[in-house]
Amino acid sequence: MSLQILIARTLRTGVAVACIVSAIGGVIYLCQHGLEPMPDYSRFSYADAPLHPEYTTLGGIFSAAAAGRAVGFIGIGVLCLLLTPIMRVVLSLADFVYQRDWLYAAITAVVLAVILYNSFFP
Amino acid sequence: MTILLFTLILLVSAYAAGLLGSLTGLGGGVVVIPVLTLAFGVDFHYAVGAALVASIATSSGSGSAYVREGITNVRLGMFLEIATTIGAVVGAAVAVYLDSNTIAVIFGCTLVLTAVMQQRRRSDHTGVVGSYAARRLKLFGAWPQKDGSLKHYELRNVGPGFLVMIVAGALSGILGIGSGVLKVIAMDGLMKVPFKVSTTTSNFMMGVTAVASAVVYVQRGNIEPGIACPVMIGVLLGALTGARLLKRLDVSLLRKIFCIAILLVAANMIYQGFGGKFD
Repeated sequence: MSLQILIARTLRTGVAVACIVSAIGGVIYLCQHGLEPMPDYSRFSYADAPLHPEYTTLGGIFSAAAAGRAVGFIGIGVLCLLLTPIMRVVLSLADFVYQRDWLYAAITAVVLAVILYNSFFP
Repeated sequence: MTILLFTLILLVSAYAAGLLGSLTGLGGGVVVIPVLTLAFGVDFHYAVGAALVASIATSSGSGSAYVREGITNVRLGMFLEIATTIGAVVGAAVAVYLDSNTIAVIFGCTLVLTAVMQQRRRSDHTGVVGSYAARRLKLFGAWPQKDGSLKHYELRNVGPGFLVMIVAGALSGILGIGSGVLKVIAMDGLMKVPFKVSTTTSNFMMGVTAVASAVVYVQRGNIEPGIACPVMIGVLLGALTGARLLKRLDVSLLRKIFCIAILLVAANMIYQGFGGKFD
């Protein structure tokens, strides 16, 4: 039962941290660029992703944040948000192993494997 | 329009999206996509990225409460997440080949189905005799009643439910929304899970399903920081307010109004999509 509470707490902490970190990024972004005209979001191209490592790669996000750039903080916020459900799966796996429920430990491991596979081989 | 004004309007819209999404049980993405594409002219591919962010924020924000109240069937959710995450991976792979107009038509059709399914009666499915597969998978559960006692339930049709969940995951991978409608068709319609359990379990699964495709979308550049930041904060605050209001508000009228609004948006999406207006 205590692990259920831990899972609930992890979910809430995860979204709270994600929100706070990206809010810091948002404030920096608005202070620096708030009065500039809105960027053109009407065209998206998959070919543009390599031009924006500051929000499409881990290294790019962290180096942008280290340089104090708003986009880096928002990127870390997004990463925290993505990590929250992944952490929930990891904790559930630990819970099923602890309960010696091997069937569900295996089921949970499959879900985790699908997510991790997709993260590293997109 | 300046960045400041765009961010503030998006923040307020996202708050409304999170509020409506949690009151109607549809998640924030359903409102976020039309606001971005129809009102701001944002490309559908960015809107889908924003909807994924909204889905994860709603699910993680409100899911924690349900797990603690013991309504969510964690085993059922975990088992069906195999189907939804695999579906999401397929959906995210297919999405690369879809242009904005096609995505708009798929989104419109999903909204129509959602509005239709909202009209059906909510059933607790008492007296269901569970199947052998469901028993072996330990999917039976008990859910707390108003008087504090626990009510046991059984379920069936695990295979068909699992297959519908793969489609639900694929839709989520293409559109970024929770596609709760298919999850409820699978759990409530086929597997005969009590209504309250199927909606909370569906919401619980939404975050994990969305993250399976979001890890790809972020690397493709669909999740734009300038859009994701106000959407994440707005939707989460809205969902928190909604969860609080839901306890003492009768939302049946709101659901009816929302249903009509959804149909209007759906008609617009399908019409413009077929007309090639989103090029």
